[in-house]
Amino acid sequence: MSRSQPTEVGDDADAESESFTGQGLPRVEDHRILTGKAEFIHDITPDNCLHMALVRSMHAHAEIESIETSEAKAHPDCELVLTAEDLKAEYNPMPTGIESVETEDGEADLFEWSLADEKARFVGEPVVAIVASNRYAAEDIADLVTVEYNSIDAVADGMAAREDDVVVHEHAGTNVVDHERIEFGDPSGAFDDADTVVEGDYSWGRISGVPLETAGVVARYDEDGDSFDIDCNIQLHTLVDNMIYETLGYGEDDVRVNVPADVGGSYGTKIGIHRYCCLAAMASQQLEQPVKFEEDRIENLQGGDMHCSDREYEMRMAVDDDGTIRGLEVWFVDDFGAYPRYPVNQVLKPLSVVTNSYDIEDVTYEYDLVLTNKTSQTAYRGFGVDPHIYALEMVVDKAAREIGMDPTEFRRRNMIQPEQMPYTLPSKNIYDSGDYPATLDRIQEIIDDERDGGLLDPEVVEAKREEGKYRGVQPSVIIEPGVSGSDWTDRQRSDRDALEDRDRDDVEELPEHLRATLEDDGTVTASLATDSSGQGHQTLVSQLLADELEILPSDIEVDYLDSIDAPTEYGSAASRMAVMLSGATVGLAEKFVANAKAVAADHWGVSGEDISYRDGALERIDTGDSLSLADLAAIDDADRRLTQVSYNYDHPATEFEEFDEAFSRKFPVYPTAAFGANAPIVEVDVETGEVDILTFHTVRDCGTMLNPMIVEGQAHGGIAQGIGASLLEEFGYEDDGQPQAITLFDYLLPSIENVPEIQMEHTETPSPYTETGAKGVGEGGMIDAPASIATSINAALEPLGIDEPADQIPVAPDHIRKNVRDLE
Amino acid sequence: MSTDSTDGTDGPVTEEITVTVNGEPVTAAVEPRLKLSDFLRYECDLNGVRVGCEHGVCGACTVQQDGRTVKSCLSYAVQADGAEIETVEGLDDDGSLHPIQEAFHETHALQCGFCTSGFVMATKELLEENPDPTREEIETGLADNICRCTGYQNIYEAVEHAAEKMEE
Ligand code: FES
Ligand code: FES
Repeated sequence: MSRSQPTEVGDDADAESESFTGQGLPRVEDHRILTGKAEFIHDITPDNCLHMALVRSMHAHAEIESIETSEAKAHPDCELVLTAEDLKAEYNPMPTGIESVETEDGEADLFEWSLADEKARFVGEPVVAIVASNRYAAEDIADLVTVEYNSIDAVADGMAAREDDVVVHEHAGTNVVDHERIEFGDPSGAFDDADTVVEGDYSWGRISGVPLETAGVVARYDEDGDSFDIDCNIQLHTLVDNMIYETLGYGEDDVRVNVPADVGGSYGTKIGIHRYCCLAAMASQQLEQPVKFEEDRIENLQGGDMHCSDREYEMRMAVDDDGTIRGLEVWFVDDFGAYPRYPVNQVLKPLSVVTNSYDIEDVTYEYDLVLTNKTSQTAYRGFGVDPHIYALEMVVDKAAREIGMDPTEFRRRNMIQPEQMPYTLPSKNIYDSGDYPATLDRIQEIIDDERDGGLLDPEVVEAKREEGKYRGVQPSVIIEPGVSGSDWTDRQRSDRDALEDRDRDDVEELPEHLRATLEDDGTVTASLATDSSGQGHQTLVSQLLADELEILPSDIEVDYLDSIDAPTEYGSAASRMAVMLSGATVGLAEKFVANAKAVAADHWGVSGEDISYRDGALERIDTGDSLSLADLAAIDDADRRLTQVSYNYDHPATEFEEFDEAFSRKFPVYPTAAFGANAPIVEVDVETGEVDILTFHTVRDCGTMLNPMIVEGQAHGGIAQGIGASLLEEFGYEDDGQPQAITLFDYLLPSIENVPEIQMEHTETPSPYTETGAKGVGEGGMIDAPASIATSINAALEPLGIDEPADQIPVAPDHIRKNVRDLE
Repeated sequence: MSTDSTDGTDGPVTEEITVTVNGEPVTAAVEPRLKLSDFLRYECDLNGVRVGCEHGVCGACTVQQDGRTVKSCLSYAVQADGAEIETVEGLDDDGSLHPIQEAFHETHALQCGFCTSGFVMATKELLEENPDPTREEIETGLADNICRCTGYQNIYEAVEHAAEKMEE
């Protein structure tokens, strides 16, 4: 179990073994990708296709005085020029996460047009769209547009924005467009009563997923049907397609959004690419020709609506001298950029793990969601939980040091115990299962081994210190909330007082939809209503369904439904799919087998009870006659009972009363709690300020592992992103709103040189709430790695007497150097 | 992209080039500013050449030019006139995977797969030069390619596994 080593099996190998689920089956997606045949969005170029380019604002905050397009229009390759004025004549603004704010004079709308209207609010905001015969020409023509701006003061800092000296949406009168303070238990009592109150300020820099594939769209308007076909790499295409059809002013069924089977990574970020879809669709309607847009990397980094959490935290913790945590107070500002887009609820998701692995009853949670002159936020793996866990683990460390207790012992003392499971958090979400202290003990054993002749051997550590290199580690047990319910996600748009006594029956959940059809040759085609971007959903479903139908995975094809064919559902986000797809597969297979029996029963003229199903064949019990699935497909069934058999799997938490309170009050509901403990052995060079992670130990538990190879891959990738977040990545801004990271030379993605060996172990504590015992697992590494790296850096530099060197993420070399210099 | 002039007279200036791509000669008239990556993707329909940054950092566009890996977004098609280019499409033998491709599959060294062509091509050069690389040598050999999904753990495994396979 030492190093992460995928089980090596050939495709369909181990057909002998009991089940495919639980095996590291190699993926069905791989062949087409490896041979270069996979069709990603940028590979789709229909005949007759035109290409779009965008003119973007170079100013962070500016009134648009005039737009001169005549020279552009005169270019022989120019097909179309669009400005906000054109859009406003025919279309709608894009829906946002917070539609309006209350002012003294009533409601002020926070409209966002697909092209800047009257005012540009961030560098990179699209102002003009150009369509031409090819991408090179479109960019030439974009250069011919002259926009006159009147640049005005900008605000590019979340804390400063709260002062409202510069207001991003003037008519709203404030940049603070959402605020909430929620108290659970009796926090003031706890703080008054405790022996000590510890305070810490922590900063989480703006980062994002930055998938290797940029956003792309190919839109086709069909005049006859007055409808649109949009191929694009948006994430959650059945959920957020409203961003597109509402903007276009069409109904849900008039705009077909289709996502290719292969998307080059998303990690949440591509939920926010609807602007491009809208613009390409509008252009194709104007021109009655297909229009394609390929975002380039600079556009993506500077103004691609794809940054994520950008937070300043003030944490307070009430502690007794014996090491008991009495209360927690969380206050933070999240800088959402220019528009409060869809993922405003990222500020609330941390409630699902508000005290992490600690048993704390009295909690205050308060935030300001502010707008600034930066590109807008989208979702990113972790969805706002990652900064919360980081800030919490930092203040836990600080509290331990202030009362003079070993930080690991302090954590152990306050940990939720296995006998408390299922454990209800003050914020009403529930942890399903797990032995957190045992996980902490195990990671401590691993660290002890490193101390005994390994990387942390006292002699080695001492010798390294002589060279100015400080080694250290500080683990904690961190929870990954999995399988989001959907109802809570519009809490920001709900009347908060009304939620106090909202009825459980008013809760609306989106089930996961799955379909199957028996093909003529006896194989089965399953259709996913979600989109995928590397998670291996096709493999997972073929593996699960093969077990349920007792056939081979290779006899199952898995394809994708577009937004019209699929019902509106949530889709692939929030660590949901392992649980939702496995539940859906079990239900679908039951229905499929029942229908198969019914068809066979009619064929033989017996009742369904006289038929058994085994190994992909039906047997008539009295005579022993049998029909294979291929035989069954040859039977002419007028009712087509084996075509498009569909099943909707309800969100698992809806079954359990324990979640009722969270559901009805729209607090985040995440019924699975995967967990893990990390021990990154860090080495800090005090001369250069550089942090080297020598090795990364991790002990993880995500319940039953459906495909261990995929589970480990998710953990590896998440941890690598966590390493990037904590040490390398940041979208920095000048005070005037000019972005500092607009190429991959400035926004540093971790390369193979930055990611150490990850040494992973697993335990498997099944979830009592899910069909297979699986827990959500897509985001864990990104949630837990930054906190663990930060506390390990603190530990490494403790001998120097530096107080919290990792108080800002990323922990950049100059920050460490500053801390060291201050000491000198 | 289109190479002929739009109105017959003062369209873009083009230059005729001949490039041997995956063993086949391709002749085309291209604008001097056409990137090699776009030439391969759009003129040669080789979509396995992925474009992730167009400024030379990510390595998704990595191909072999005269036996050496190059980032095809950093050069122009006209610079490849007379050269031999190999892309990931040139590796498999009528659908049966090259040992490097097999190794990536068996060790789960790809998730979204957008970086994969580049990694496979970089691995090919690495193993051609050094059939049995150490972890440090793998690190150096693949340092110019970014993968955002896998955290590189299984990419090490894939390279080592491919080395074993190719030795056989
Ligand atoms: S596309 Fe060529 S290096 Fe990124
Ligand atoms: S597999 Fe997605 S970038 Fe490498």
